[in-house]
Amino acid sequence: MTKIISFPSMGWSRIAFRALFEKLPGVTVFPPPPVTRDIVKMGAKISPEFVCFPFKVTLGEFVNMIENHDIHTFVMSIDCGPCRLGFYAPIQEKILKDLGYDVEIIPIQQDDLLNFKWTKTLLQLSNVTNPIMKYYDVIRCTRLALVKMSYIADITRLEGLIRCREIHKGDTTRVVKNLMDQLDNEWDLQVLHHFDKVIQTAFAKIRIKHDIEPLRVIVTGENHIVMEPFINMDIVRKFGEEGVEVHLANSLYGWILHKLHINAERKKLEKLSKPYIPLDIGGEAIWVVGHYIEGQNQGFDGFIHLYPFTCMPENTARGILEGQSPDPFYLPIQFYSIDEHTGYEGMRTRLESFIDLMNSNRQGNPKFQNKYREPSEIKAIYDKKVPLTNHSPLFSEVLTPFTNNLNILISELFNMKATKQNTKGDRNT
Amino acid sequence: MEKQELEETKHITSVSLETQSMKTQINQESKFKEIRNVFMGIDIGSVSIKILLLDEQENIIERLWLRNQGSPIESSKKGLAQLKRQLEDHGILNKIRIIGVGTTGSARYLIKSVIGGDIAKTEIIAHAVAAIHYNPEVRTILEIGGQDSKIIILRNGIVSDFAMNSVCAAGTGSFLDHQASRLGIPIEKFGEYALRASENVTIAGRCGVFAESDMIHKAQMGYSKESIIRGLCDALVRNYLNNVGKGKEIEEPILFQGGVAFNKGLIKAFQEELHKKVIVPENGLNIMMGAYGAALLVKEEAERTQKMIGTWETKFRGFDLLHFDFETKAFQCQGCPNRCEVVSVYMHKKDEETGEEKKELVARWGDRCGKWAVY
Repeated sequence: MTKIISFPSMGWSRIAFRALFEKLPGVTVFPPPPVTRDIVKMGAKISPEFVCFPFKVTLGEFVNMIENHDIHTFVMSIDCGPCRLGFYAPIQEKILKDLGYDVEIIPIQQDDLLNFKWTKTLLQLSNVTNPIMKYYDVIRCTRLALVKMSYIADITRLEGLIRCREIHKGDTTRVVKNLMDQLDNEWDLQVLHHFDKVIQTAFAKIRIKHDIEPLRVIVTGENHIVMEPFINMDIVRKFGEEGVEVHLANSLYGWILHKLHINAERKKLEKLSKPYIPLDIGGEAIWVVGHYIEGQNQGFDGFIHLYPFTCMPENTARGILEGQSPDPFYLPIQFYSIDEHTGYEGMRTRLESFIDLMNSNRQGNPKFQNKYREPSEIKAIYDKKVPLTNHSPLFSEVLTPFTNNLNILISELFNMKATKQNTKGDRNT
Repeated sequence: MEKQELEETKHITSVSLETQSMKTQINQESKFKEIRNVFMGIDIGSVSIKILLLDEQENIIERLWLRNQGSPIESSKKGLAQLKRQLEDHGILNKIRIIGVGTTGSARYLIKSVIGGDIAKTEIIAHAVAAIHYNPEVRTILEIGGQDSKIIILRNGIVSDFAMNSVCAAGTGSFLDHQASRLGIPIEKFGEYALRASENVTIAGRCGVFAESDMIHKAQMGYSKESIIRGLCDALVRNYLNNVGKGKEIEEPILFQGGVAFNKGLIKAFQEELHKKVIVPENGLNIMMGAYGAALLVKEEAERTQKMIGTWETKFRGFDLLHFDFETKAFQCQGCPNRCEVVSVYMHKKDEETGEEKKELVARWGDRCGKWAVY
């Protein structure tokens, strides 16, 4: 008998979560429906009032799936980090059981992925008896999930960069949706390893304006809020449609790499924010401060910080960023504290004013240096001389997956070395 | 009710009529020798609508303030009717030509599509532009309106930072209005009461609910109305500076704008808390700053377009608008599980020659994905 399981969606990350469980024998995955107003309402009704917003949303998703789709088993991540996220699963299970629902929440350990406690959940779900085959399945599922989440990160990054350049409004949104559907239904690892070409050909079809210098903003904050477009009012799209280049700083892939201790980018940011926050206080606090400093150094135009209304770590980060301005932190910043409200009017007023502010800042602020460079991805996609095809010689079908993996490993190792040297250099100076 | 509002508008216009200062004076009939081009700024907020006419030399020609009634569409029509009446009274209706309309305030997009505006800008930018024109040196703007409060920091003549109250409505005009009516004193006298107080009463300012319960307790303990009102003013200033002005460097000159700036008690409380001088735009201009800014912005836009393309034409429907009927319809989109409520605004127009009624869609929004949107 197979178990039907589901999980919270967290924007496009649901594709990666689905990939982790779909091919596990003994498990049938029910992909979570997208978050809607009703789901948020349901979750808010039965949650404690001052709990963080992601708790309410995920609880609402569980209730929706129990009531409308008859699913009773969910997987939810836990950890023993400094923030409340670690205890979501047990508390949500208790609330649901108190309300009389027949429900089981299976925790998946995520505090340090290198201790491999998370594999226990997968092994427990699998109904294969042969131990070797059991491990084989777990490895295959993990590979699928990792590959897919890396492409999700690629697509969302390109989405932010290209939308501000599109000539026909709505092209990017449509392309992204098609690509995500395609990625969600692709289960052949050989094909998946060439999926970057599919992404590039799809984006290359969008007609864009070349040689423009749009405003650049970094959008970051708490992971769930940043990645779930329904709750952040789709701020990435709103900025893109106003002609602003969005650099989305959060991705599930980056988070998983960080948990595997090989995310050089995050290590660099930690070093940058060390004078202000010396240790991980939960949420995304240290990386938010790090991104801010990096953005300021790279000459960005603005910085958007999204966080749940009652999130302690993000509020701390906000306090630090505000306390250091205007000197040495002069990059314009907007904070959006997000909770149950769905009204967009207040956000629109601030968003439009912020764009006006960034425009005038570019012209009138003596501290601002124009360091705009066209992102290398744009060049890679649109200036290709060789036509992109999915065809490749026989041997590469077998070899590319391995060389790809090897390349990633080498580049990550190299990055780590480089950052170490950089920080050493900083200390000397 | 209506009578009271009419009196209020009269009050405002009479205030403006009395003034003879350089920029804010209303030009006399005799000065209008030929037809002038004017720009209109409309600031439609949650409580009131403000309309201001500005000529090409940036003189204020006409202005009015009306409390909102019903929907923004109705209020804007009433506002235009009132404006027409005022212009007739001053005998200048035929001597002006409106060549640009800028809207601001929370209902700016709706009003823009209803009356045919040229640009819709946020209140923050409108207030900042107006303040810079009023006092080019300005470095801080405190703005407290009917439903929200903002702080705008300007450096070197550009907006360098701003904040809006994102968490609560305590300390806004509506809250003061409510408390005034609960204490049984007219809102116009609120400031005077606070100035008359002899002792200090501490009132919790963090949240409107706490403030209200604190006020009731203090009243029951026997404190006078005056001192409670003063305590409330102090609490609101504390709340504003902690919540909205959190961590911002408030430097002089400071302009205090918005309807709440009529309240002398709050001005005093601000000055005591900041130990700095707070300037309120004179002659009741403090409530007109949004509309003033919108008019300046549309003027700027018109000049820029004129320079770039060579022509500029306004989309303003003219005062004929008063004879059109506007109708709003809402429906729930069934396209996805979000079930967005989509609102459409239709204009009923009567063709004068044939007598046929035409129905025209002027605006539609409310959906998240944007497939219905018409602006």
